[in-house]
Amino acid sequence: MRTAAELNYREKGIISEIDSSHPSSKRIMEHGFTPGQTIELICKSTFNDPIAISIRGALIAIRKSEADCIKLK
Amino acid sequence: MKDDLDVLVPLITLVGPPNSGKTTLFNLLSGKNYKTVNYPGSTVEYYTSRILSNYNIKAELVDSPGIVSLVPESLDEKIAVDSLYSHPKLGVPDLIITTIDSCQLSRHLLLPKQLISSGFNVIIVLTMTDVLAKKGLRVSENILSQALNCDVVSINGRSKQGIENLIHVINSHLELIKVTDTKKISPYNSLDNRKDLIDTFKEIEEIVNEVYEPVKVDEINLKVANKELKILEDSTNYNGFTLDEITLKIDRVLLHRFWGFLVFLLVMGLTFTSIFWIAQPLMDLVDQLFTNLNTLVVENFEPGWFTFLVSDGIISGTGSVLVFVPQILILFLILGLLEDSGYLARGAMLIDKPLSKIGLNGRSFVPMLSGFACAIPAMIAARTIPNRKERLFTIFIIPLMSCSARLPVYALLIAYLIPRDKPWLGGILLGGIYLFSIVSSIVVAWIINKFSKRIFSAEGSSSFILELPSYRVPKISAVINHTYNSSKEYILRAGPMILGFSLVLWFLTFFPNINPQVETEGLTVEQIQNVERAERLEHSFAADLGKIIQPFMSPIGMDWRIGVALISAFAAREVFVSSLALTFKVTSEDEEEQSTLLNSLRNAKIETTGEKLFTVATSIGLIVFFIFALQCLSTVAVSRKETGGWKIPILQVVIFTSLAYLMTFITVNGLRFFGIQ
Repeated sequence: MRTAAELNYREKGIISEIDSSHPSSKRIMEHGFTPGQTIELICKSTFNDPIAISIRGALIAIRKSEADCIKLK
Repeated sequence: MKDDLDVLVPLITLVGPPNSGKTTLFNLLSGKNYKTVNYPGSTVEYYTSRILSNYNIKAELVDSPGIVSLVPESLDEKIAVDSLYSHPKLGVPDLIITTIDSCQLSRHLLLPKQLISSGFNVIIVLTMTDVLAKKGLRVSENILSQALNCDVVSINGRSKQGIENLIHVINSHLELIKVTDTKKISPYNSLDNRKDLIDTFKEIEEIVNEVYEPVKVDEINLKVANKELKILEDSTNYNGFTLDEITLKIDRVLLHRFWGFLVFLLVMGLTFTSIFWIAQPLMDLVDQLFTNLNTLVVENFEPGWFTFLVSDGIISGTGSVLVFVPQILILFLILGLLEDSGYLARGAMLIDKPLSKIGLNGRSFVPMLSGFACAIPAMIAARTIPNRKERLFTIFIIPLMSCSARLPVYALLIAYLIPRDKPWLGGILLGGIYLFSIVSSIVVAWIINKFSKRIFSAEGSSSFILELPSYRVPKISAVINHTYNSSKEYILRAGPMILGFSLVLWFLTFFPNINPQVETEGLTVEQIQNVERAERLEHSFAADLGKIIQPFMSPIGMDWRIGVALISAFAAREVFVSSLALTFKVTSEDEEEQSTLLNSLRNAKIETTGEKLFTVATSIGLIVFFIFALQCLSTVAVSRKETGGWKIPILQVVIFTSLAYLMTFITVNGLRFFGIQ
């Protein structure tokens, strides 16, 4: 299963679930990353990490290690 | 706080997610322009104020730190949320006003839903309505109000539209509230928070799909009507889920994988250099002012210990506090502009990866940059780092940033080192010093990170999730106010400490030899005073201390006189130069001081051996010492306050000062080994 961390530049994806075992999972969900939402990878930092993802009309910078727990359909 | 005030005054707390316009509303209602900073950690701070008198509401207004949700995860968030339920001093709020970005309802409605579930009395204020109107949309207050069963008011922070309505709603709430009533508030705590979050967001999505409605054409300015209508066509199903187009375009450059980092380096380079180049003339002005004031006192009053207490103790001490104000003003002004425009969050994102390699966080960057001006505001700025370990680590590493107080010391030693006909060499050397200081602090941070568990004894997974706000033109008035408040905070925090330590050091350098006997033949009054000062210092308590540390100074090729200057430098590093001047009996003043001091340094010899004291090796050694040493007592005091204990400040002093000594020892003896004296 792909995760948000594996999205390509400007690629969209639909969230299927958030990995609850990750310590940041609650914080990620509070920022609006919930199942069914469409996300898009807007840009990557120079070192490929963190990445900027659009969710619910906001742009969120997130580390790849944390974006990894956002599972996509 | 409430105890000191009228107990019967209702308490209104402003709550909202970051970037939701909460502070703008606070400024509008309080009438006084404060700006909030997110204060996680043991130092959560709130701005409070009475509501502006012409609104005719008698209530205490509190601005709280921005939070995303009522379920705390880290210790720091817990403090912020707990104090909302029952602040130890303020109590339980009688009314909560929560600000919500109307373009971001689908994310921001989480907090009001949780607040309402907890049983708080809530008014929702919709902000950024002007931005939404540009998309040809508005939020139906009625539908939202019915869906959430609470009052909803739209305001425009820029034009103050809607404020009257808000005041009206607040009043009608307050009429129903008796301050003395006990409030039935249950802390928001659901057993399965994850499932609850998913359900809450589902409910929010249903609401959001209903509440957006097109703005009636006659409400739109005719000039832009055509433009708006075009947008209207493709936004019929708007649910706030689209990004700001302009922001996307700008980010194509500023967050470009190659250009993005280049722009970042350029912006930070400009910020960094302007801390020095723009501030320098202003700093000289402050310095000159206090020097003149000092001279004025010495010339017009009877020479005695009290005159010197006023001139050398109080006036010079105050001067050493205020001399950094121009730099701090400029730093906060630039950082404020960058933050308000939306760039600073992106800067933190760009630098997160390299910093995470050494156990820091993207959010550590701004505090570290501030550290090049002064460590004190830098440590305070570290409060925005949510992870406790990373915050403590950032505070730990800040003294290694080469603060501006070290600049006069570098300048003197560089002037001593370079040949007179090659002044350009000085610039290169200074650049080299800063580069060396940056590289070595990275190495030191990397090593300290290996022991981070033992030093910081704080757990918690490292996290970097940061909202990148849409770009906007910074509000100059807000930035200026923020700059003013931050500078005031610096003066109030650091001022008394620096002044206090200056007085202690004045005492150590002045007593016990109050009236020294000196040869006065053929000298001017001014020269006599300087000779007296030098004589006094030579037999002072500070000199005794210096002689005690002589055994430590010899291995690094220095003697007790440099030791005295180093001890004096604990008040503030730039004092090193003036104490050096005193110890080496430099008798002329002002412009000539440096060149005369340079000559005295060239002729100075170690008393016991008769060797030259200031060689190339020892001068470079001194520079190295200043790069590493933590010899600023004000920094130690602020570090204690910000970390909530003595452990970290003591470790900082021990580690950095012994590191400085070790590196100086290696430098001096290494250079000597290669034949450089």
